[in-house]
Amino acid sequence: MIEMQDVWKEYNNGVTALQGVSVRIAQGEFVYVVGPSGAGKSTFIKLMYREERPTKGHIFVGGFNIERLRDRQIPFMRRHVGVIFQDFKLLQKLTVEENVAFAMEVIEASKRLTRKRVKEMLELVGLVDKAKMFPNELSGGEQQRVAVARALVNKPSVIVADEPTGNLDPDNSWQILKLFERVNDRGTTIVMATHNRELVNATRKRVIAIEQGQIARDEERGDYGYED
Amino acid sequence: MPETRNAGITAMKIRTYGRHGKEGFKNLFRNGWMTFAAVSGVAVTLLILGVSLIISVNLQNILTNIESELQFNAYVMDQVPTSQLPAIKHEISSLGGIKQVTLITKEQALSTMKKTLGPNADLLNGLGNPLPNEFVVKADSPKTIPQLASLVSKIKGIQKVQYGASFIPRMLSIFTIVRDTSVIFIIALVIMGMFLISNTIKITIFTRRREIEIMKLVGATDGFIRGPFFVEGTLLGLIGAFIPSVILNQGYYFIQKNVVLFPPFALMPDPIVMNRVLPILYAVGLLIGAWGGIMSMRRYLRV
Repeated sequence: MIEMQDVWKEYNNGVTALQGVSVRIAQGEFVYVVGPSGAGKSTFIKLMYREERPTKGHIFVGGFNIERLRDRQIPFMRRHVGVIFQDFKLLQKLTVEENVAFAMEVIEASKRLTRKRVKEMLELVGLVDKAKMFPNELSGGEQQRVAVARALVNKPSVIVADEPTGNLDPDNSWQILKLFERVNDRGTTIVMATHNRELVNATRKRVIAIEQGQIARDEERGDYGYED
Repeated sequence: MPETRNAGITAMKIRTYGRHGKEGFKNLFRNGWMTFAAVSGVAVTLLILGVSLIISVNLQNILTNIESELQFNAYVMDQVPTSQLPAIKHEISSLGGIKQVTLITKEQALSTMKKTLGPNADLLNGLGNPLPNEFVVKADSPKTIPQLASLVSKIKGIQKVQYGASFIPRMLSIFTIVRDTSVIFIIALVIMGMFLISNTIKITIFTRRREIEIMKLVGATDGFIRGPFFVEGTLLGLIGAFIPSVILNQGYYFIQKNVVLFPPFALMPDPIVMNRVLPILYAVGLLIGAWGGIMSMRRYLRV
């Protein structure tokens, strides 16, 4: 469950990225966030895992009151929110399975549990046979699947993805989306900022359009709606 | 309004300390040249620190030695009868700033001299006793010695006053200045060492920034991220202390054995000096290492 109540975000350089955004996303929903570049999509996403703090307003994510969170509590909130980026953010020195295990090592999970969960996740994303390979030996789509496995390994209740298919060809983009749909079927909320018109139009899910820092459109089974 | 929940904050598991140790240790080798640079830098800093500590320990010792021997001798004229000696002693004692006056009679002086001469004591036979009665006068402060000496020399019946060395008081004040400035010098060195380690790790951190960012995004606590850096810095500091401690120990042992100085200027024995200096060296190494390690990456924790 994600809720924003009249959220404003002004950056230190004076740019106002969000102006009074209010939105409610129920647990288990799949939401696309669309809109022109620079309209505030990324800020909207970043607020959810507390990379940025709102200037004004209230944000609740998975039971955490984000703007009230003290610095030392942030790590514990992030364990409930899996994040996925356009550039994958994998550690090049670690193998596929080490990259996934890293997320569990960091929260001090036991070795046994880690092994078990990493195996499950690699099965889910279909990379068991590449477990010992390094990121630079994989295709972009495969790397993004590793990132998804890492985001999921700690069983977050929310997955937040900022243009996860931005660097991928259509085939790989579809694979990632299929993966998201499977994860979503298990009850995980998915919030995905995207420019990928085909995906949005073909799958017909809730679409939130952000323009000039405000929610311009919020439709169930919406379409992409832009011509770019 | 949705219910809020508080993030649970748990203590770090013991296994995690092992992980930090391993990671920190690995980093030393991963960044081989940087490790080398930092260790040599710290080693040189601590070597200088160690040398100044050794000098200052010895100066301190010399100061104490000298201060306990602040005395001068007043020789009594031959024609003064023994019965008058207590009166003179009283007169000396009544001057201000006198700690102690001891009478050494010519007989005592002679027997001491015979002991000193040992087998050559025969030389004195036939000379009778050429030695005068004397007073050994101890002063409260080294600075007053010249003044006291001249006062005593004017006392009736005193033939001559002799004091160890007129340069001692001046030397004492020079020693004190040296000792005090070395403290400032030492503090500056310690701060320099901290920045050295911090900057060295900072250079290597560029490649690790991504790692830190990812750790933060998947929910690592700051303490967890800091762990390996703390270990790495501490190890750098300790290795940096080990090298000069070996050099200083061997070097001082050699110097102390080969340079013979007389009291009160004798060098203190090796074990005593090293017991004082080496723990400080290691403590400072540890401190600047741990501090440098943590300072180096503080900035990158803000994700």
